[in-house]
Amino acid sequence: MFDLVIHLILIIISVCVAYPILHVTAIAFSDRYAIMANEVSIFPKGFTLESFTYILEQGKVFRAFGNSVFYTVLGVFINVAMTVIMAYPLSKTDLVGRSVLMKMILFTMFFSGGTIPTYLVVKELHLLDTVWSLVLPNAVWTMDLIVMISFYQSIPGSLYEAAYLDGASEFQIVRKVAIPLSKASIASIALFYFMGHWNSYFLPMLYLFDQKKYPLQLVLRSMLLESSGTTSGASVLAETALTPTGVKNATIVLIMIPVLLVYPFAQ
Amino acid sequence: MLVPGLLFYLIFRYGPMFGLAIAFKDYSPFLGVLKSPWAGLKHFEKFFSNADVWRLTFNTLRLGVLQLVIEFPLTIAFAVILNEVQNMRCKKAYQTISYLPSFLSLVIICSIFKDLFSVDGVINQMIVQLGGNVIHFNGDPKFYLFIYILSDLWGGLGSGAIVYLAALSGVDQNLYEAAKLDGCSRIKMIRYISIPSIMPTIVTMFLLRVGNIIRITPDKTLLFYNDLTLETADIIGSYVYRVGITNKSYSFGSAVGLLESALAAVILIAANKICERATGSSLW
Repeated sequence: MFDLVIHLILIIISVCVAYPILHVTAIAFSDRYAIMANEVSIFPKGFTLESFTYILEQGKVFRAFGNSVFYTVLGVFINVAMTVIMAYPLSKTDLVGRSVLMKMILFTMFFSGGTIPTYLVVKELHLLDTVWSLVLPNAVWTMDLIVMISFYQSIPGSLYEAAYLDGASEFQIVRKVAIPLSKASIASIALFYFMGHWNSYFLPMLYLFDQKKYPLQLVLRSMLLESSGTTSGASVLAETALTPTGVKNATIVLIMIPVLLVYPFAQ
Repeated sequence: MLVPGLLFYLIFRYGPMFGLAIAFKDYSPFLGVLKSPWAGLKHFEKFFSNADVWRLTFNTLRLGVLQLVIEFPLTIAFAVILNEVQNMRCKKAYQTISYLPSFLSLVIICSIFKDLFSVDGVINQMIVQLGGNVIHFNGDPKFYLFIYILSDLWGGLGSGAIVYLAALSGVDQNLYEAAKLDGCSRIKMIRYISIPSIMPTIVTMFLLRVGNIIRITPDKTLLFYNDLTLETADIIGSYVYRVGITNKSYSFGSAVGLLESALAAVILIAANKICERATGSSLW
């Protein structure tokens, strides 16, 4: 009885979670008449790729996809590089001033200058409307830094010493000892950095002005804004004229594909 | 090796903190942060003399408290229920499905919920089939918070549960065995073994969240609200964004943001004190 109730609750939750995702995917692959008639549930009706071919022809979403890939690849590369080369020295307990530095870093988790002062720093460095505005202001996430520091502390010091005695420089030790040993941890922080960049819309909205530079999330957002506030039947019709529902959902599917590809590794 | 990382923290983390000085200045883009003239508490006074201030504070607190009293316990309940599943395959399946939405962006979540609740969306189709009338969910302030919280749960239940599941897996299984021999029911085991065992985790998570009943990042609000729901939906964060960034009132926006951060810090410190007295565990 108890088990039955538990499975029932969890099945209901799973259905509620899965249904919208399947619905979106089904709409993306359905033809426009089935969509307009509200006939699509969780399976595509009148299977077609017309929404995707429309995206290819129109170019806006396609360019945004390229932008998103570029920002994400560059962003994750800088994140991982910065985090690793910072975490390694901070993992050494004999580092001069280590406790002060750690306190200063942890403090930023609880207190920040806020959106506008950060915006002004980016502005005064003339980074606005460049890819660097998306990459540099969050080059290191303190949570991920702490994960890496504690990993490097768990590596036996004798491994570093051996390399040191063989005449390796600190940089060589990082490259040949620390990084190979921490591949799994690096992969896990890279995954979170990837999700952060790929899914971010707020920072691009703050820092990018040129529509040509928009990532996918912002293009999807502008599709949403076209249809927001629709309460009367008239504006609902207007909405379908601006961005067809099928195209919007095809864009969502495009955003989801890379995420679903990395999802199995996240667990 | 430390130089690039430390430069980052100095410029992009400590820089903005000193940049908060513009909350007490009249920021001018031509003079920069340092040379802009001091303005005293002018921007704070302006905020408190604004008729919107209490509505904004109330809206923010209402949303924050709702998130805390609804989402926080439900996440724990979900983890506890999931932990009761004996069949490992089923457990894995439930977990995989529920964790998926936390990998979707806010924009996607917003799009999904707007469509679900739109006039010709799935929810309204069900209402019509059951003989009801179409409801304009997205344009009605009454439903705004309901949809907001529901979308939070949809997106966050799976990922939120992970930390409690980890804590639950650390509970000594002998306790359950002993309770079983004494004829203890499953519900009583949850009540007297599972929950008390993960109490320290619950307290820590509570404290990490509690400051956020006033400091709510506006990214979700900025996507979900529209002109029709603004009255209910507008929170301090979205107001700062509109006034500070869109209207370029940098000093005023910073002052409001600073007030928000200060209030969040006061709430956190107070909650930490109370928890320390009540349960003996605290954040620091």
